[in-house]
Amino acid sequence: MRALLRSLRLPRGYSTPAFLAYLAVILLVALVPQVSRKPLILHMWIMVFLAIAQGSAWNVVGGYAGQYSVGHAAYFGMGAYITMLLLELFQVAPWYGILVAVAGSVVLSLIIGTITFRLRGPYFVLASISMAEIIRLAALHFKDVTRGAEGILLNSIPPLETPWFVVKFLGKVPFFYASLGLAVIIISVNWLVQHSKLGYTFQAIREDQDAAHSLGINPTLHKNLALMISAAFTASAGGLFALYVRFIDPNIAFGIDVSVQAVLICIIGGIGTILGPVVGSVVLVLLSETLRNPKWLVQAGLMGDESTTVAFIEAHLSNAHVLFYGVLVVVVVLFAPDGFLGLLRDATNRVKKRAAARRPPPSQPAPAAE
Amino acid sequence: MPPILEIKNVSKHFGGLAANSDVSFDVGLGEIVGLIGPNGAGKTTLFNCITGYYPPTKGDVLFKGARINGLQPDAVCRLGMVRTWQKVRPLAKMTVLDNVMVGALARTHSLTVARQVAREQLRVVRLEHRTSFLAGGLPIGERKKLEVARALATRPEMLLLDEVMGGLNQAESEEIILLILDLKKLGLTQVVIEHDMKAIMRLSDRLVVLNSGEKLAEGPPREVATNKDVVTAYLGEAVDA
Repeated sequence: MRALLRSLRLPRGYSTPAFLAYLAVILLVALVPQVSRKPLILHMWIMVFLAIAQGSAWNVVGGYAGQYSVGHAAYFGMGAYITMLLLELFQVAPWYGILVAVAGSVVLSLIIGTITFRLRGPYFVLASISMAEIIRLAALHFKDVTRGAEGILLNSIPPLETPWFVVKFLGKVPFFYASLGLAVIIISVNWLVQHSKLGYTFQAIREDQDAAHSLGINPTLHKNLALMISAAFTASAGGLFALYVRFIDPNIAFGIDVSVQAVLICIIGGIGTILGPVVGSVVLVLLSETLRNPKWLVQAGLMGDESTTVAFIEAHLSNAHVLFYGVLVVVVVLFAPDGFLGLLRDATNRVKKRAAARRPPPSQPAPAAE
Repeated sequence: MPPILEIKNVSKHFGGLAANSDVSFDVGLGEIVGLIGPNGAGKTTLFNCITGYYPPTKGDVLFKGARINGLQPDAVCRLGMVRTWQKVRPLAKMTVLDNVMVGALARTHSLTVARQVAREQLRVVRLEHRTSFLAGGLPIGERKKLEVARALATRPEMLLLDEVMGGLNQAESEEIILLILDLKKLGLTQVVIEHDMKAIMRLSDRLVVLNSGEKLAEGPPREVATNKDVVTAYLGEAVDA
């Protein structure tokens, strides 16, 4: 928690304590499978990591560049499908297949970007939704390639062989580390974006595209660049997701739920921040998994075997997670427009201000929060 | 004075409306040219044509001898010509420093260099006390200054100011006037759109008057101010008793 608070105030540029805190958190999380190997617990972690990957990837184009794409299912699904099809049809090991999937999604993002970035604001959002829907319908229709609504079921995953070690993808532990690694990479990419010229460029476009244009920024180029980065990582999340659940069909991979989830994660956590998608993922995954399968609470030892809460959720709320999403978004948009992270930041600012008020007043007014 | 900007027979039509028709004039190196005219005369449209926001329907814009119509605004900026906006466009959720850094990053890839340039420019426009404020929270006078600082940070050879004094009080306007004159001393060429006649007479080496999209007059401020056509455009025809 302290690490979280500290990195909230991360100054522009490199900061050693924040970086060490980041490393420490990663290490701690990496130790989880050594402590508990209960499948449902590991499943929760994996879902959180995949959500972080998805949300942080969206954050690059949606949060920093301000282009609210609600069509990221296109890249997620493309990543999932290319990985699965290469494995099923050509026996390409998925760890290379994902690279092909990433390349494919980047190409797709260039095509979609070229078409949709001519539009701004709500029109762009609508265009991005329709692009993903076109691809979903195409995946349903062209059965020869995609097997349509039947979907693709994976039988076994070949082991990853490197000169140094061999990883067999049995059970949940390898997926735990793979998805953790992916999440860490994407969070780091967000950090790099925020602390580079690219980040300034993206944010300038988000704040005012015309002003950015007059200051020597090419908006079309940079919006496409942001989308490419975002699509690449969304695709890798999609590929890993497909391998993990071992089954995809067009609705799972290209469905609008996938697109909406990426946006929700960021809205709930805090758009355009590094930690926002992390916080949002934890909240959203906990909520949806608890509602869908409250048994994990029992396995985690948080609730007793006979818990009436678990029984109640199972009996009455098991299909209500979409309803809860809706309510949550309304509450967040109304009361915490900067997400949970914004609430936290406001709270720390208030504490600081109160502390400052006790001291003699400063000669200059306090600067606004960053 | 060799011309740095040549505007040759520029016309801009929106459907049947001629916002600019056949406007020609030159801007000399290091000169301040005032662009005036009644509302709707086509001043801002001309700015948009010069800086690449609209391609002119007809005519050419030459900057440093090279034709620039058809270039995008970012390319024009990199060539050394930058404009400010009549309706200010602060990057609201970024700090004042970050705003100016965005301008500075047009010339460098290093954030450190950009930060240095930005601080320098904030000092030039006297905004250094607002460095870490969010740009969206500034009062109008300071937003206008921020607009100028951000434009200057791109290291332009030519600055187009679109009503930087609009909405400012006397003291603030005076500050901007002194700033523009200081920049002139440093050799910066400027084209200034302004409604405040007293200010524009003081600033300009030459005035260009637009009316209904056409160039009405051009010349030294004193001459233009007594030009019969200009007076008519601003005040209407004299009524015979």
